[in-house]
Amino acid sequence: MTLDVGAELTPVVVELTQDKIDRYALAGGDGNPLHTDPEFAAKTQFGGTIAHGMLVLAYLSEMMTAAFGRAWLSGGRLKVRFKAPARPGDTVSAVGHVVRAEGGRTVCAVECRNQRGEVLVSGEAACPTGEVAT
Amino acid sequence: MPTPSLDTLPKGHELPPFAFELTSEWVREYVVAVEDDAIGALDEGLVPPMAVAALGVRALLDGAKLPPGAIHLGQEMSFLRPVRVGERLSISARVVSRGERQGWVLMGIELDVQGDDHGSVMKGRATLTMPAGRAGVS
Repeated sequence: MTLDVGAELTPVVVELTQDKIDRYALAGGDGNPLHTDPEFAAKTQFGGTIAHGMLVLAYLSEMMTAAFGRAWLSGGRLKVRFKAPARPGDTVSAVGHVVRAEGGRTVCAVECRNQRGEVLVSGEAACPTGEVAT
Repeated sequence: MPTPSLDTLPKGHELPPFAFELTSEWVREYVVAVEDDAIGALDEGLVPPMAVAALGVRALLDGAKLPPGAIHLGQEMSFLRPVRVGERLSISARVVSRGERQGWVLMGIELDVQGDDHGSVMKGRATLTMPAGRAGVS
């Protein structure tokens, strides 16, 4: 799939809850109490539980899958920095837009933001534009 | 041998290999957990690429205890081919950088996930920081 520079990707918007974080902890096998134990997490520098970084990235990946289909699975690249934690009660929006074409790839600037517009994750995602493996 | 705390691992340390079969039950559980509506629209037999990446983290946690206060700073990953339900993945992880400053460890860990054909299906690098010298938690 080819998108023009400047094209906006369809956002993925998720209402984050502690139940969702707990469900991800079970599926992902990451039971770090920072994510699942409010009493433990309250004593950390975060002051409460936070979502797994890989859960937040899953929302970005869903956005890329919806935009680019199999090409994302066959040669997608993601490079991000975690800027702030996502917390239960947050509305997390994964957003992105095409910034350039480079070396046979479409490169997108991507972010996850919360309902206050704070950036939780930012970086780039690149996807091949040609034939893809199946 | 007790599981080491991640902050104590030196550069070059290889974590124990980790194998995982992508059963339909596990993939369904993952897809529900992350609310991924896009992958099912492609092909019911495909696995979300971030599920593979999540298993990389699981391999890491299987081989080392995470110190309280550890923070995931950054993540890079390349998805090399689609992965299907039923595949058995083999995951290797290695400490590729480690620095320590003012009681905090900054660590880079490379992940390589191989599929049934022994070829890589995903490669990645995680950057973490964590307090040095605190007992890890499972």
